[in-house]
Amino acid sequence: MAAMQQGEASLSDFKSLVEIDLNSGVFGSNWAHCDQISTYVARMVSHNRSDSLLYANLLSSALNELLETVFRMHRRDGSFLCAVKRRGPVDRVEITVSCQAEHLAFYRGVMNVLEGPDVAKRYRETLVAAAAPGPQVGLLELAVDYAAKLSVDEIGDGFLRLTADLALEEQTI
Amino acid sequence: MYEAPHSTYAVSFDENNQEFSLAGSMRPQHVEELGACLQVLRSSLNVVRGTFYLNVKRLVRLNNIAFHALSSLLLKACEERPELKVSVITSSVVGWSTRKFAVLEEASANIAVEEYDSAFYPGQAFLEGGGFIPILRTQTKMTWRHEKDILPRHGMREGLSIADICCGAGDFAVLLHKQFAPARLVALDHSKSSLDYARQVAADFGVSGIEYVFGDAAEMLLDDNQFDFVTCRHSLQIFNRPERILKELYRICKPGGRIYVTNEKISHCLGEPHKESISWTYEQLARLFDHFGMDLEFGPKSRRYLMDAGLDDIRTDHFMVSSDDGDPRDFADVVKSWKVLFAGDMASRRGDDAQFIERFARGFDDHVFAALHPKGYAGWPIWVASGRKPK
Repeated sequence: MAAMQQGEASLSDFKSLVEIDLNSGVFGSNWAHCDQISTYVARMVSHNRSDSLLYANLLSSALNELLETVFRMHRRDGSFLCAVKRRGPVDRVEITVSCQAEHLAFYRGVMNVLEGPDVAKRYRETLVAAAAPGPQVGLLELAVDYAAKLSVDEIGDGFLRLTADLALEEQTI
Repeated sequence: MYEAPHSTYAVSFDENNQEFSLAGSMRPQHVEELGACLQVLRSSLNVVRGTFYLNVKRLVRLNNIAFHALSSLLLKACEERPELKVSVITSSVVGWSTRKFAVLEEASANIAVEEYDSAFYPGQAFLEGGGFIPILRTQTKMTWRHEKDILPRHGMREGLSIADICCGAGDFAVLLHKQFAPARLVALDHSKSSLDYARQVAADFGVSGIEYVFGDAAEMLLDDNQFDFVTCRHSLQIFNRPERILKELYRICKPGGRIYVTNEKISHCLGEPHKESISWTYEQLARLFDHFGMDLEFGPKSRRYLMDAGLDDIRTDHFMVSSDDGDPRDFADVVKSWKVLFAGDMASRRGDDAQFIERFARGFDDHVFAALHPKGYAGWPIWVASGRKPK
């Protein structure tokens, strides 16, 4: 029990770096918001990483995939919150959005895929398949190419929180 | 050559080199937004024979929609034309692109991915070995005595946003940080071992706030117009195309900001006694560097290069690092290391005979003698130039 409490305490000591708080309709009004938010956030939080430019490139790419997924799957009403937190070499991205049951089911379906076998093979086959990749490809990419630890939680009534823990510093050394 | 500028990315096809290049950011919502780009790629693939080069060195951002569209065309071409080879040229500086495009290698035996910067400037390997780093640090200590007073004449002051390009072992950036408290300081180099050393030096001295960045000075991924002051020291002289570096320095400098360069004219190194032997050796040293595509006589040419790059308000200085500055043993240590590196490794690689190398080495020994002699003098001249990017 004590060990579990210690574990919970260490998870909660992520320091908040940046939060983008928008109306969901505003976020969803322009696809370019994904690029703009990911580029801005990546630049703001990367300056004190070991290679700021390389880190910003990686974080921007990972965050953009998350945002593009949410853009395709989100509701046009309610709120959108993108928070970036840090604990040592790990940056945590939390995106909290209004959702319906089908959106939650989509994310939970992807999480099931990520826990299954051959995730990397599945991701690579999706990228070179004849058909255009579906909205799940970004999450697969995060897990395979960026070694992100992903989770999705239902937060209260009608909200979900998508969390990605990224240890990109290890990839820049 | 075809070039189609776009608000976020650029597409070009160089038919002579069969090279299709993408640069910038490609994050479309719908594949139809890439129509013009895909049309150029399709027609480019149609005209090439042998190997088609896809250059994505400066493609900083690419989403899965764009990747799928590009890869579909490439894979289709390889499938329809088994004789076609595709070489994808990525850069490790971008971070994600090598592993992303590696998916294509798995999908088709005709496609290969090559990370171009794994062989950045191989000719400069002489100067980047771990053993030479302490000497570079001593050199910076000696030149800083002069530059800290010269820099303000070239526009340096507190609170600027500064880029130190080709920062090497990073001492100059640390000294700038301490002396001029910049608002931001980015230090870029193409040597990962030098950057690792630089980070360690900064950590050892408790200096934080310097952004150390790996990259090619001739093709930087830093944004346009973001620095008030851009420095590039002792580096234009060792690139075979200094105008390419200057073009990049100009691009990242803000309008109204200044670019500051230092370079040598190595044949003007001097000493007493034994001035003839010393002069002969340094004239030969200039020729030796020229053999390897480097110009250690660059110093007095700085004004012309800065003007040709489009800068105005050119200001120049020069100073003599000498055995009279601080401890003459520092000067002697530097010259001794030059002897090992240049009269040893470099001259041997050029194929010089033993007689030449012996005379060449003697000039360095005489320079050391002059530096340490109580009645002697040894000097190493440095040229400084800066120019303003017009508003």
